[in-house]
Amino acid sequence: MIDQIIALAFALIFAGLLAFIFLPENGMYNRWKKRRIDSRKMLIENGLKFIYDCEYKHLICTLNALAGNLGINADEAAKIFEQMDEMNLVKMENEKITLTDEGRSYALKVIRVHRLWERYLADETSVHQLDWHDRAEIVEHFLSKEETDKLAARIGNPVLDPHGDPIPLADGTIPKMSGITLNKLTQGDVGTIVHIEDEPKAVYSQILAFGFYLGMDFTVLRKSDDRIVIEADGEEVKISPIVAENITVKKQEQEYTPVTNRLNLSNLKPGEKAKVIGLASNCRGSQRRRLMDFGIIPGTTIEIEMENPLGDPLGYRVRGTMLAIRKNQAEMIYIEKIKTTEDEYAV
Amino acid sequence: MKNKDKIIAAVNNLRWEMGENFHDSLMESLYTEASEIANKSIVLQDRKSKFDLDRFIDRIVTSKIWGFPLMFLILSLVLWVTIEGSNYPSQWLSYLLLDTVHPVLKSFSADIGLVWWLDGLLIDGAYLAMAWVISVMLPPMAIFFPIFTLLEDLGYLPRVAFNLDRFFKAAGAHGKQALTMSMGFGCNAAGVVAARIIDSPRERLIAIITNNFSLCNGRWPTQILIATIFIGALVPSEIAGMAAALSVVAVALLGIVLSLLVSWFLSKSVLKGEASTFTLELPPYRPPRVLQTLYTSLIDRTLIVLWRAIVFAIPAGLVIWSISNISLNDLSLAEHFIFAVDPVAIFIGLNGVIILAYVIAIPANEIVIPTILMLTVLTTGLAELGQGTGVMFEMDSLQDTASILTAGGWTVLTGINVMLFSLIHNPCSTTIYTIYKETGSMKWTIVSAILPLVMGFFVCFVVTQLWRIFS
Amino acid sequence: MQSKCENCPVYNEAHLKKLGIKMDNFDYVVALAGNPNTGKSTVFNSLTGLKQHTGNWPGKTVTRAEGGFEYNNKFYKLVDLPGTYSLLSTSADEEVARNFILFGKPNVTVVVVDATRLERNLNLVLQVLEITDKTVVCLNLVDEAERRGVHIDEKRLAKELGVPVVATIAREKQGINNLLAAIEEVALGRYKGRPKKIKALDPKISKALDKLIEVLKEEFPDTPNLRWVAMRLLEGDQSIIDAVNSGELSSLTIKDKLTVNNELI
Repeated sequence: MIDQIIALAFALIFAGLLAFIFLPENGMYNRWKKRRIDSRKMLIENGLKFIYDCEYKHLICTLNALAGNLGINADEAAKIFEQMDEMNLVKMENEKITLTDEGRSYALKVIRVHRLWERYLADETSVHQLDWHDRAEIVEHFLSKEETDKLAARIGNPVLDPHGDPIPLADGTIPKMSGITLNKLTQGDVGTIVHIEDEPKAVYSQILAFGFYLGMDFTVLRKSDDRIVIEADGEEVKISPIVAENITVKKQEQEYTPVTNRLNLSNLKPGEKAKVIGLASNCRGSQRRRLMDFGIIPGTTIEIEMENPLGDPLGYRVRGTMLAIRKNQAEMIYIEKIKTTEDEYAV
Repeated sequence: MKNKDKIIAAVNNLRWEMGENFHDSLMESLYTEASEIANKSIVLQDRKSKFDLDRFIDRIVTSKIWGFPLMFLILSLVLWVTIEGSNYPSQWLSYLLLDTVHPVLKSFSADIGLVWWLDGLLIDGAYLAMAWVISVMLPPMAIFFPIFTLLEDLGYLPRVAFNLDRFFKAAGAHGKQALTMSMGFGCNAAGVVAARIIDSPRERLIAIITNNFSLCNGRWPTQILIATIFIGALVPSEIAGMAAALSVVAVALLGIVLSLLVSWFLSKSVLKGEASTFTLELPPYRPPRVLQTLYTSLIDRTLIVLWRAIVFAIPAGLVIWSISNISLNDLSLAEHFIFAVDPVAIFIGLNGVIILAYVIAIPANEIVIPTILMLTVLTTGLAELGQGTGVMFEMDSLQDTASILTAGGWTVLTGINVMLFSLIHNPCSTTIYTIYKETGSMKWTIVSAILPLVMGFFVCFVVTQLWRIFS
Repeated sequence: MQSKCENCPVYNEAHLKKLGIKMDNFDYVVALAGNPNTGKSTVFNSLTGLKQHTGNWPGKTVTRAEGGFEYNNKFYKLVDLPGTYSLLSTSADEEVARNFILFGKPNVTVVVVDATRLERNLNLVLQVLEITDKTVVCLNLVDEAERRGVHIDEKRLAKELGVPVVATIAREKQGINNLLAAIEEVALGRYKGRPKKIKALDPKISKALDKLIEVLKEEFPDTPNLRWVAMRLLEGDQSIIDAVNSGELSSLTIKDKLTVNNELI
């Protein structure tokens, strides 16, 4: 009996050791892998991206700023700059670093991979929004041009990334972004979100927590120095100026009529009928297409027909088809209830 | 050519101008026209259908109270019918192939004066292996496959997927994995191919890796035999059959639980991600055409699977006969292996014979039991029971099989461990090859092969230690 | 070749010979498209005499099948395309199906339609009609629809769509003769109708399409389905972009009936 207990204990220790090595986030293996990725190439490419970003935002990029962005000390940053200079990617005039044409197209190539990968994660996988950026940060350094073009083809050569940023084309050109940041709007203005900045992460997760999404219409109700109150999807949201700075919007000319009490499909009860009024814009890619293929488009009648022993998913009748839809997906389908009259059998 | 560049430029410009709404808008137009045309050409006869049978069945099949008991009942019933129904045909076949044809072949080879080793290799090795596979495999397959196909044609499988989806969602897997899992109950290779219905690459990979936990056709007979001998013996004989069937159901359910657990583990670690979408169309029930189903399931599935089993059994028979008859230092090759592995194997509640049998049975799980019996006889010197070294044979009664296994040192614990190990070990070589073809990745193929094997050893080990503590 | 098939179960002995998988010399290529679970495999089996397994769950045909049959002394090769709900999405199945209909240039495309879910199935028919006029609609499962109290006026439907519509109950082999006759009519170019094209487009979209078609016409004046090409280009379909670049689009001109791009199959 003692033998058995000792044997079991050893097995547990062994299993624990394996877990310690292979644990997904903090396991030894993954740490080692992460460290290995921190190579020179990555630093150069990240540096190029940063300088590009400075130029795009009309900011002055210095060696110190570069070091700060890359998380390295000034000496190392100088070394990186030297290497970039040797490769004829950058030039410096009075402390100000700028890109050469070559450097710019290199930066755009990296950005193209980054944004395409984010788009791929958003459209085709169920990776959480907060993880898109970090994953793309790694992948952008490893995809070859051929692989990138193949990826783009597979997801239908998208024009925007999931944050609303334009994706550079394969030939290294990038279209101009229009729009202003949200804090530039004044009271009573109506706008549509066209871009949400995903960095810094703390601000981004705040924006996500508000439930903001691309294409969201809103009205500015009140504005003061330390807060902006907007109304969107029937709710009032107070946001800080920092958050507002990270949201790019387009000012709407026409009067905006607020939608109140927007219902989604998960609010529907058995026996009730509803009309689809739209799909949430965070329902993207193949998921969105699949729902539309089944005929879930504005105007379609929908009702619950099959309940589930575990409560989820439910079976819905849509244009004659019985369709099983999970609750989290049903939440992305906006509906309007219709008064039931018993005589209709929807075909 | 300039024109082409002009076209591409025009496309890029227009796509910029239109933004992301092109597809949405196109679909809306399509459906507008489609419903217009449909409305014009549909004549509704009687609007109030008197009684919608589909809805009625669905209400029961997916109801809170009856949904799961019904699934359990159907699974038990299918198994019970398979166990009971294949009993007699199995005996007839073994009487024919083993007790009648085999002696005839033997005397014929004696007549023409065949060399002893060729006689042994061909008749006691290859022929017997094939005969055993036919007599044990054909009857359960000929019953299991058609019943399964009938359920499939009826439209019940999507309801199973529908009912179980919540679990799969919690495990981070795709709802359609329940469908591929069901296909795996027939054949894992088929289940792996069926995973093509899952669009998302991550979830498809999970479905492929975990398909092995669906007890496949090659493993049902092993489960049934061991359960009848060891579990059935634990209870009064009146309910022995029921107890055996239920223990097999329990193993099958354990397989489902494991496949969910592994899916969960994978989607929390290497294949990280949340469950994606699940839009499964639930087809209406269609009364199956019984005769045609019987025909196609016999031709398409049973014979193909049987053929595969035979193709693999023949070389396996040759190998078994050879390793039992080629000696090194007075011990046959088989014995060398068995004695070397025995200490470790017994420590985890199995034995060297079982491990060797599973190595030989990598091409086809169907031949595990005959290999075990033959090798046990060889190592325990019970030669008078069998017919000679390296001969696979069918025992006339369960008692004989049981007494061989007991003589080989088997206990109830060994029986339970073999049932568990039969569920949790590497997939057969066909499935492994199919996984490689489907994933195109050596890495994932190796993971799918090694992961269940390690788990199997671990589970047997823990069960054995616990058993020894509490008994 | 004919004598080899004497023991096939032939229900229309004078005209149809099911050739199974024998199809070395064929006169016409017929593509079989349709939503999943509409009885496509059953139609395929009853035309070719093959015994593809047919289950009742969507997507169960994961491998593509080909078969042949002979009708009125002409040899037809039948290609069973993967079942898809649409041809406009990005999944691999849909790519195979739409590229075969466009680049494979089948002489006839049969769309199998589930009569109980007409609206959703017509969505696919309309998409196919954008690609090719040589289409036959096989309105299957009419018995099931009748049981549900739904009757479809197939003549009206044919008029609306501008292509032949044949009601069938493939499981019981009803209507297969008419289907064969319709396939022959379209294959030989005898059927005269004006296939429906999508009209109810958003003005912004139709303007964009018109603009693009104009540019396309300069380069590919003889390609018949430029509107479909334009739609796909605006969706960012790489195989069409490649076809523009390689000039393959100009080969879509229907000159020679018998040139079929076999590599796509």
